[in-house]
Amino acid sequence: MARHTPTYTPIRNYSIAFLLSLSIFYTDISFQTFAPLRGIVNASTLYVQFISRSFVENISFTFASFKQNKYLLKENKELRDQILQIGTKDFIEKKDIEEKIQIIGLRDTLSDTFKSNGINIFKIASIDLTNYFCCSSHKVFLHNPNKINVEPNFSVFAGTSFVGQTKRTYMNFIEVILLSDREHVLPIKSDFFYCDARGKGKPMLISCKLNYQNDDFENRIGDNVFTSGLGGIFLKDVKIGFISKIIPITSNEIEVVITLKANPLEENFYGIINKDMNEI
Amino acid sequence: MKFKNHLIVLSTIIFGFLLDNYLNQFTIKFFLELNFGFLIFSYWVFAIPEKIQSLAAMLYGLAVDLFFSNAIGFNMLFFVATSYIIHLYVFRFRIFSYFQLSVFFSGSSTFYIACKYLLLSPNNYSYLVLILSFVVNAILWVGVYLMMRAFRRRIF
Repeated sequence: MARHTPTYTPIRNYSIAFLLSLSIFYTDISFQTFAPLRGIVNASTLYVQFISRSFVENISFTFASFKQNKYLLKENKELRDQILQIGTKDFIEKKDIEEKIQIIGLRDTLSDTFKSNGINIFKIASIDLTNYFCCSSHKVFLHNPNKINVEPNFSVFAGTSFVGQTKRTYMNFIEVILLSDREHVLPIKSDFFYCDARGKGKPMLISCKLNYQNDDFENRIGDNVFTSGLGGIFLKDVKIGFISKIIPITSNEIEVVITLKANPLEENFYGIINKDMNEI
Repeated sequence: MKFKNHLIVLSTIIFGFLLDNYLNQFTIKFFLELNFGFLIFSYWVFAIPEKIQSLAAMLYGLAVDLFFSNAIGFNMLFFVATSYIIHLYVFRFRIFSYFQLSVFFSGSSTFYIACKYLLLSPNNYSYLVLILSFVVNAILWVGVYLMMRAFRRRIF
């Protein structure tokens, strides 16, 4: 009697599939070979979401119209139209004013900070919340309906501080890599140290390793941290956060954890400086 | 298997990953990562092994990678490997109890989560996430199994 049940599992096919998958995975994590493909898929998904949302709204509006009693429709059509118009207008105006105030506020902050008016404001299209809360990859897509030419590696501002830099553009969307992304490196400075802070892969946290003793950082928690401008992407002396934790690694090495000032989840609008204005 | 049926299987897997994507942003705060997508894929291989083999597993993985992953190849790799292991022991699994099946499939799903964190997000690796996810995914497996079985019997 056979001890094993007979199964047909061709090892050769599985080995080929396994090796192929492995090589694709390796090339992608090492060299980002398929990053453009992923970006295009992401942008297309966002497009489909936008289109389907407006399609569903139209359909539901049509169905709602059919459901109305004909008599009521006839009698109240004008009145309801007027009320709807006024309500919609009111809502849009209110929303418009709120958005305008936000945009003006952001533009003013950017103008004050960079002493320049060549700033483009973009509305957020999507943020990958699952990855933002759990994993290393922290990215935001911005809506760019006017297809403004935005180059990669331009600093992105939101609220009152930097939040990241542009990575690529796909169709009408701009991919922004946030400061807390594990791949992002930001040159920073404090009163007494300079370092290249890497994203921690956790919301609003970056960190850098320094050759200091833990005692040197006593009472330093809460100190402000600024951009040093050494990377050539971010302007210097912009406050980006504060020291929130000191973790000793060895007797002569510590990790300084910095909590960022700008929270991408609370921002609707993001500012990017024009290409011409960015050139010195 | 017909192309239409492959599309049905793939849509259920994608639905699982969509569910994960939506729920995990809330559950991860409690050190819990749900893995419906992987469990649904495992169910399909377990239920119709003769129809889902290496190529299908690889293509499903590719589709999931394109829509949900940060690196193409990760799900391909795991789908192919899981599919191979399930194929090897598929008839033995048939005589397993629900509990044994839960432990196996939840274990595979926890291994998947552990590798995902180790390879793609090492800073966020946490044993607490793995332990909690193992327990919760083991419970979820029974629900996924029963629901997917009912769905399969109605569709195929």
